[in-house]
Amino acid sequence: MYLIGEFREKKAVAEAIRALRAGGVTPAEMDLFSEEPIKLPRGVLDRPSRMSLASVLGAIAFGSLATAFIYWVQHNYRLVTGGMPIFSFWATGVITFEMTMLGAIAATFAWFLWESGLVRKRDRGAPVPEADPGSIRLRVRCRVDDAPQAIESMRRAGAVEIERRNHD
Amino acid sequence: MEHRWGMAIDLDRCTGCEACVVACHAENNLPVSSPEQAGKGRTDHWIRIDRYYEGEFPDVKVKYMPVLCQHCDDAPCEPVCPVYATYHNGEGLNVQVYNRCVGTFYCANNCPYTVRYFNWFAPEWPEPLHLQHNPDVSVRVAGVMEKCTFCIHRIKRSKQDAARDGRALADGDVQPACVQSCPAEAMVFGDLNDPQSKVSRAAGSGRATRLLEELGTKPKVFYLQKVK
Amino acid sequence: MAAAPELLPYKQIREDLFRPLSGVSRRYVLATCLAFIVGAAGLAAWVYQLRRGMGVTGLQRPVFWGFYIVDFVFWIGISHAGTLISAILRLTDAAWRKPVTRAAEAITVFALMIGAMFPVIHLGRAWLFYWLLPYPNSRLLWPNFRSPLLWDLTAIVTYLTGSVIYLYLPLIPDMAQLAEHNTPWRRKLYRALALGWTGSDREWHALERAMKLMACIILAVAISVHTVVAWDFAMSIAPMWHSTIFGPYFVTGAIFSGIAALLVALTALRKVLHLESYLKWHHFNNLAKLLLLMSLLWLYFTLAENLTVWYGNEPREMAVFGARTRAQYAPYFWTMVALNFVIPFVLLGIRRLRTIATATIAAVCVLAGMWLERFVIVVPTLANPRLAAASRGYAPTWVEIAITAATFAAMAMLYMIFSKLFPIIAVWEFKPHPEEDED
Repeated sequence: MYLIGEFREKKAVAEAIRALRAGGVTPAEMDLFSEEPIKLPRGVLDRPSRMSLASVLGAIAFGSLATAFIYWVQHNYRLVTGGMPIFSFWATGVITFEMTMLGAIAATFAWFLWESGLVRKRDRGAPVPEADPGSIRLRVRCRVDDAPQAIESMRRAGAVEIERRNHD
Repeated sequence: MEHRWGMAIDLDRCTGCEACVVACHAENNLPVSSPEQAGKGRTDHWIRIDRYYEGEFPDVKVKYMPVLCQHCDDAPCEPVCPVYATYHNGEGLNVQVYNRCVGTFYCANNCPYTVRYFNWFAPEWPEPLHLQHNPDVSVRVAGVMEKCTFCIHRIKRSKQDAARDGRALADGDVQPACVQSCPAEAMVFGDLNDPQSKVSRAAGSGRATRLLEELGTKPKVFYLQKVK
Repeated sequence: MAAAPELLPYKQIREDLFRPLSGVSRRYVLATCLAFIVGAAGLAAWVYQLRRGMGVTGLQRPVFWGFYIVDFVFWIGISHAGTLISAILRLTDAAWRKPVTRAAEAITVFALMIGAMFPVIHLGRAWLFYWLLPYPNSRLLWPNFRSPLLWDLTAIVTYLTGSVIYLYLPLIPDMAQLAEHNTPWRRKLYRALALGWTGSDREWHALERAMKLMACIILAVAISVHTVVAWDFAMSIAPMWHSTIFGPYFVTGAIFSGIAALLVALTALRKVLHLESYLKWHHFNNLAKLLLLMSLLWLYFTLAENLTVWYGNEPREMAVFGARTRAQYAPYFWTMVALNFVIPFVLLGIRRLRTIATATIAAVCVLAGMWLERFVIVVPTLANPRLAAASRGYAPTWVEIAITAATFAAMAMLYMIFSKLFPIIAVWEFKPHPEEDED
């Protein structure tokens, strides 16, 4: 089941999350919903990201594949132009760079779609609260037995309203 | 490389009669521009006679210089083509594949000799010239670049003839149309790989210079003139 | 001082910025139709050129590149408005960027689309343009990757992909909001584009991280794109093209004209969409200062480029230099100097003269001046090849002029349609962030 707590202040949310985590709720079971990015202090609800790594790997993969591909293409059909070598890094450098960047762009975008959960809904049936301007809603997934304790934690932190919802 | 074709042009002999230009037109199916288009500079001559004037009228000296594709060993036009429409073949010729050309104009911009010509419109010939096309040479469509080929079809024909007769290709067997028609015999064509050929000897003479040699394009057309 | 935009109530911001999306005024229809007619005329001119041949242009030997390549460089330059400026402002966390970035990013995408058409338009056999794409022909021959035109192709594809994503990412939250209350077809469109955005913290985190990464990437790509465009010229051995300075010179010119385009677009948006309380004097003032800075940088490069040639006194380069500054192309050259330096310097350098109106005038001058700059770079060099006997001039025909005019109309039309479909200012970025200072 899900609990959805509505908060008005960022501090209250941070408080509630800390209390819930102390009570055994993992960050993966919590989601914040708001109409704008909420910056919480470090350690409250971190979302570790590998997007930079993905971007770098995508860049390396595209760049080296493109260069290797051009090497193969030019050796496969040897045409001399302007006395240049069949393959040279000078003449290929620009394409290597552009494809490296394209790899970074593609990987970043793909990773964004993946990490944000837009293409990979964790639990499809989870209720999505309507985020009103100014309000922050905290959705917690918990077992029915743990619900009273979680509700208590949220209320003490300053939740304006708490709603119990089941899978849609 | 079996052959390395080159040409020598003796500027001291050239009279600027333009017989080579006419011969080239007839040989290579060059379209005939209308007077209006010619006025705009849209003429199509794979070989042209550049005129340089020295002195003031009436004491003028005119120098003629036949300029054709120099078939550079390091041709600047080749690497810039995105579709390999122009590249270097095994006999040192700078070849143009009309059917592959999409018309980016880049080669023509990068040719320091300005010897590349473009088909601005579909080619036209005034009657009865349309009946005298050379069957060995393709007619180019609108939108492609073209230029001197050193009469590559004649090179091929000569090689075939020599092979059929079971003999080696001799010096002078291949003659492009311009060389053949030059009344002053100012032009020589042949194999630069053969040190005994006429063109090799001309290229080795003290009178030989190459056009815009300082660019490092390594042209294979040698101009002979008295060094003052 | 009037209320800073950051302090406007959120509800009003939302209303103000979403309002332009609904309803179509008569003037809007009229303007769009006009742009459409001019664009259609250009299209007709292009069809005529395709049917008759490239001879309908003013091109001839040795001037094989003319208006189309000038337009190409010009529009690719304009495209640097956006992404580059918005990326710099994002990375430096300049607060005043907020109402400016999306307008700039949209310019980038459309200018790139238009610019990328020109290499095709100027092809002798445009219907075979796909031969430049990397796929093998029937004999397994691939395109020549040594050609700077292939570099161009990859650079533009990368830049277009990157800037579309860069424009799209911060649109997603706005799309989700717009999908809530709207007419049925718009709701469908926005919902599809929102990708099921719910506003969860995972999404926000991913979005912010992606935008930071994309800003870094797009910065590098944007600089490389115009450098590669410059190298189309610099890789050749034509006099005054074969110059090491061309890469940075073109990038500078591109940012210069990009800022000018952004200023013009912002003035128009402010006036037409009544965004006076969002696009304020300090936005224009900051952009005007940037424009002035780029104008000086441009002058420096122009000087460095021409002075070295003049002093070196190499005959073939001097022929081009002479054609540019003294002979037939001198009027273009000196008009360019006036438009790109003298007028902006006076209008923007003297503080009393610097207003939104004069900044816009200066920007329009810069746009014209930068178009002329490309003309002055492209044509005189080709008109004066190394063999002087082959020299010749160039004058455009109506076909080239019609197609050039059409691209400006196309830009206006695309921009107008965009501003009807999407909020031109990122609404979620503009919200009041009262707690932001605490961190």
